[in-house]
Amino acid sequence: MSDVIFELKNVKKWFPARRNLGQLLSGERKWIKAVDGVSLKIKRGEIFGLIGESGCGKTTTGKLIMKLMEPSDGQIIFNGEDVTHLDKERLGQYKRNVQMIFQDPYASMNPRFRAVDVLTEPLEIHGIGKSKAEREELAAKALEAVKLTPPEDFLGRYAHMLSGGQRQRLATARTLILSPDFIVADEPVSMIDLSTRAEILHMMKEVQQSMGLTYLYITHDLSTARYFTDRIAVMYLGKIVEMGYADDLIDKAKHPYTKALISAVCEPVSGKVNQSKEVPIKGEIPSAANIPEGCRFHPRCLYAKPECMQGEDPELQEVENGHYVACIRYKEIEEMGTSWR
Amino acid sequence: MRNDGNKAKKKTSISRETRIKEFKESLKEFWSDFKQVKYGIVGLVLLIVFILMMVLEPFIIPFPEAGERWSDITYWIDNPRSAAPAWVNWFSGKKNTVHEFLTEPELQVTDTPQFQVVEAEFNYNYKYDIPPGELTLKALGKGNVVVEAEIIRPDGETINLVRKNFNTRNETEIRIPLGNEAATRIINFGREFESTENSRNVQRHLLKPMEILFSKAQEGILVKPEPLKGDYRINVKAIIVGKDSYIKDPEVVVSGKVFGFLGTDDARRDIWSGIVVGTKWAIFIGLLTAFVSIAVGIMYGVTMAYFGGWVDSLMMRIYEIFVSIPMLPVLVVFSAVFSPSLWTLILFMCVFYWTGPVLTVRSMALQIKEETYIEAAHALNASTGRIIFKHMIPQLIPYAFANMALSVPGAIVAEASISLLGLGDASVVTWGQILHGAMKSSAVLKGLWWWIVPPGLMIALLGMTFAFLGFSMDKILNPKLKTR
Amino acid sequence: MERVLDVRNLKVYYFTSKGPVRAVDDISFYINKGETLGVVGESGCGKTTLGTALLNMPTPPGKVVGGEIIIDGTNILELNENQLRKNVRWEKISMVFQGAMNSLTPAYTIEKQMLETLRYHRELDEQEARERIKKYVNLVGLSDDVLKRYPHELSGGMKQRIVIAMALFLEPELVICDEPTTALDVVVQAQIINLLKELKQKLNLSFIFVTHDLATEAEVADRIMVMYAGKIAEIGTNDQIYGEQGPMHPYTSNLLAATPRLHKKVEKLNFIPGSPPDLLNPPAGCRFHLRCPVVMEKCRTEEPPLKEVEKDHYVACWRCYENE
Repeated sequence: MSDVIFELKNVKKWFPARRNLGQLLSGERKWIKAVDGVSLKIKRGEIFGLIGESGCGKTTTGKLIMKLMEPSDGQIIFNGEDVTHLDKERLGQYKRNVQMIFQDPYASMNPRFRAVDVLTEPLEIHGIGKSKAEREELAAKALEAVKLTPPEDFLGRYAHMLSGGQRQRLATARTLILSPDFIVADEPVSMIDLSTRAEILHMMKEVQQSMGLTYLYITHDLSTARYFTDRIAVMYLGKIVEMGYADDLIDKAKHPYTKALISAVCEPVSGKVNQSKEVPIKGEIPSAANIPEGCRFHPRCLYAKPECMQGEDPELQEVENGHYVACIRYKEIEEMGTSWR
Repeated sequence: MRNDGNKAKKKTSISRETRIKEFKESLKEFWSDFKQVKYGIVGLVLLIVFILMMVLEPFIIPFPEAGERWSDITYWIDNPRSAAPAWVNWFSGKKNTVHEFLTEPELQVTDTPQFQVVEAEFNYNYKYDIPPGELTLKALGKGNVVVEAEIIRPDGETINLVRKNFNTRNETEIRIPLGNEAATRIINFGREFESTENSRNVQRHLLKPMEILFSKAQEGILVKPEPLKGDYRINVKAIIVGKDSYIKDPEVVVSGKVFGFLGTDDARRDIWSGIVVGTKWAIFIGLLTAFVSIAVGIMYGVTMAYFGGWVDSLMMRIYEIFVSIPMLPVLVVFSAVFSPSLWTLILFMCVFYWTGPVLTVRSMALQIKEETYIEAAHALNASTGRIIFKHMIPQLIPYAFANMALSVPGAIVAEASISLLGLGDASVVTWGQILHGAMKSSAVLKGLWWWIVPPGLMIALLGMTFAFLGFSMDKILNPKLKTR
Repeated sequence: MERVLDVRNLKVYYFTSKGPVRAVDDISFYINKGETLGVVGESGCGKTTLGTALLNMPTPPGKVVGGEIIIDGTNILELNENQLRKNVRWEKISMVFQGAMNSLTPAYTIEKQMLETLRYHRELDEQEARERIKKYVNLVGLSDDVLKRYPHELSGGMKQRIVIAMALFLEPELVICDEPTTALDVVVQAQIINLLKELKQKLNLSFIFVTHDLATEAEVADRIMVMYAGKIAEIGTNDQIYGEQGPMHPYTSNLLAATPRLHKKVEKLNFIPGSPPDLLNPPAGCRFHLRCPVVMEKCRTEEPPLKEVEKDHYVACWRCYENE
């Protein structure tokens, strides 16, 4: 098997926008380009971070991978097999191998289900385990894997009887019970209290290492991404603008958008109260229904030049070992240093 | 190994006790919320009353076969016709005679070689202002029997009433309406005391024998009778001829002007019995119709929401067709043409009532469909059936309960309307049927209010009961109302 | 320094069917004029309850059961509803509620809802009111044309600015901001933080900045108050909490160590095992003792008082008194 587990080739997801009467009559179609040509390769056994602000298309990308929706264009390749369109039988097989952890563990579990029901449901769906007792045993084992011990204390509980951290453990146990290869984790810790957040991340990492899993970690939080992931891709308006090894990307960010994101993050260090934060970006994120021509970041970019404002989006190109940037001026910007004003 | 397996099973399965405990706790919680809603409590109390009426039916109705023999005239023969409820006496200055059976007379049997003489003496204490409608002598007899009857009034006057011959081969019921049979004798008795002028002027057909019989023997007995209260003795003498002949169980029925808890209708039926028997049918019709139609409605709404798109649109159009057909007129025509049984009637009501919850269920289901746990189930490759039945419908159960309670009244009223129009299932005593009887014999014109008010009131009360329960459940279980 | 708010022994309980939940249990603190006090704590520690209690409008079934809230020399807990509405709320102390930006009425223009709020509190003629609204909208960095727009036409950041303007236009001395940046994207978060800092300096305002995020607090708060399970664990200046020496209370220091850092490579993040106690039935002694890595025998039985261990640095921990 190759070391690439997942490959997205120019994947697009366009939703039809609501049209007004004039547009309807003139036959004009408008699209909300939630994901607009994403290509990436995820290596087996790594934790890949997908970062961006709300509305940048990161969650849609996750759902496309989960086959919760069909892509409008492009190819998705899993374990060397094209899974863009699957028949029913192969879809079942695929959904066994690819699992998802949702942002809100509470919302992702039926409130009328006990832990045991939550955990045995995937087994029932995929016809694993001969009897109820056998499935319950597997459920207990899954709870042990996520350190909800002793399992018999938890099997009978409903989600609302668990703490936030325990809930996310249960949600993780549900994804592990089918022993998948790949897990999409969509903001798995953003709803969890700070004091237990690291505990969940550690647990996830431990499980990943012991079971040889690959994660796609979707988040808006650069700090946990740096801590948790191996590689990071930054998305802006449906496209990846920068991608690289986590440390590289954050310490040596090249794309102006990534730089702005990094400078906006708050750090728990003293001495910043009396000064204003400098965030090198202007305006607000435009709607995905109305993507600017040229480099899609140019209206907000402080370095934009006329050539940024026309033509196609800049290609994502490798500039250093494993560090990709989609910006035609990254070199000049680097040379300018902090004297960008 | 096997032992291990068993142990694990024991440990992991949720024990029955905890389930019961949790169920109890959730009931307790529901109850503590329910207590806060006053009209809910009123509804609950009423419901308990209705249930008690249903359960205790054999103990609280005087005519245990009322349900089966409602249209059988012979079953009601001893009752007075169109009698008001007994408690009317409490509120009126002039007391009506209460319906009474005079049984266990003093018997005296004399045997002679040729025949047997049975003498029965009935004592009747008359203490009312308005005399009974009739005195009926009743007995079982066989063979050749001669019956004589006389009455001895408190003032010592004696009136010979009848002398009648019976000759039957089998045991039959002998019924002698004394007032009717002895009308002439009684009137003549009255004439003895009345002034000649009055006696001449009075019109024979306006005279009521019973009135004369129970009035003071004085001038005006025919024109302006005054009640004579006191002990009356009715002597019955039966001469039995022949070996096989006999007579037994002699009884005098005093047909009162007031009867029982709710009086009688003009076919002598006891209305209270009818009301009690009707309770179970009303509840049955209401609950069954509500249950079936809500179940169908919920399935329909969830299916619409789940599939969306053209399925949703098509089902919506079908729904709209059903909603826009006025139920009652169609139901009337249907009943008139097919004269349906109760079951078909219920089925037909369901055809219209399932639309009730559809829109709300659809919107609730649309909301549930967007929940993350539904998405999670999709991500696990859960089938449509699993998502609908395991994830969506259970969320709607509380709403279904509330809605069920709320649609009970409609079904009850619809059935009553159909029955009132005479199009219902006549073999079942429902409140609507009782009302229909009242309408047919123009009870309103005759002022027989006790025939109309109780069934009407019961329909309203039972409807109110379920409406109250439904509203309070809705308030407690509907999360949207709860947050308000 | 002048104090704009002085809270003494404040207690707020939620009366539930299972018994009183001690959401805020006997806390005392103050705020100086022109200062931002950061209130940090995890969900359920009582920080939002504290915010509403300071306006003397706790959410039912919550009730203020004891203590004093002194603003301008008056204990506002003794005032009746009418006086509170007329003289205190929004006049002296106002609040930006969590998620307030999503509770703007979708059917009205921004100007209309601002006018309504303003004229509910003050008798102003239309012209004056419009002037004032314009002034405050400009003050929060928005142009006049947003006034004619509807909430759905504005971005999250703009709506948050409107809500802040609405909290300001009656010129209070103290503004409570409950998680004003939580639902926003990082870039917008930074802009709002900058705005609040700017307003503080321009108007000499005092802020209470309630959040669960220690990192945000480091950017805005002059002093930080850390709450745990309805109690104050520690109050210290920005330097004392985030500086070299670090916080003193084991809860604060562990929480700080659990906060992921962007510019520092951390091998293994810290976490605090267990979960906060049930406030229906809080544990005896120090409320943190069940999760505390340096717990002592005394912590299990005796509740540590909030003591000033160095200038402006208050800690409620037996360990910290020992160090003296």
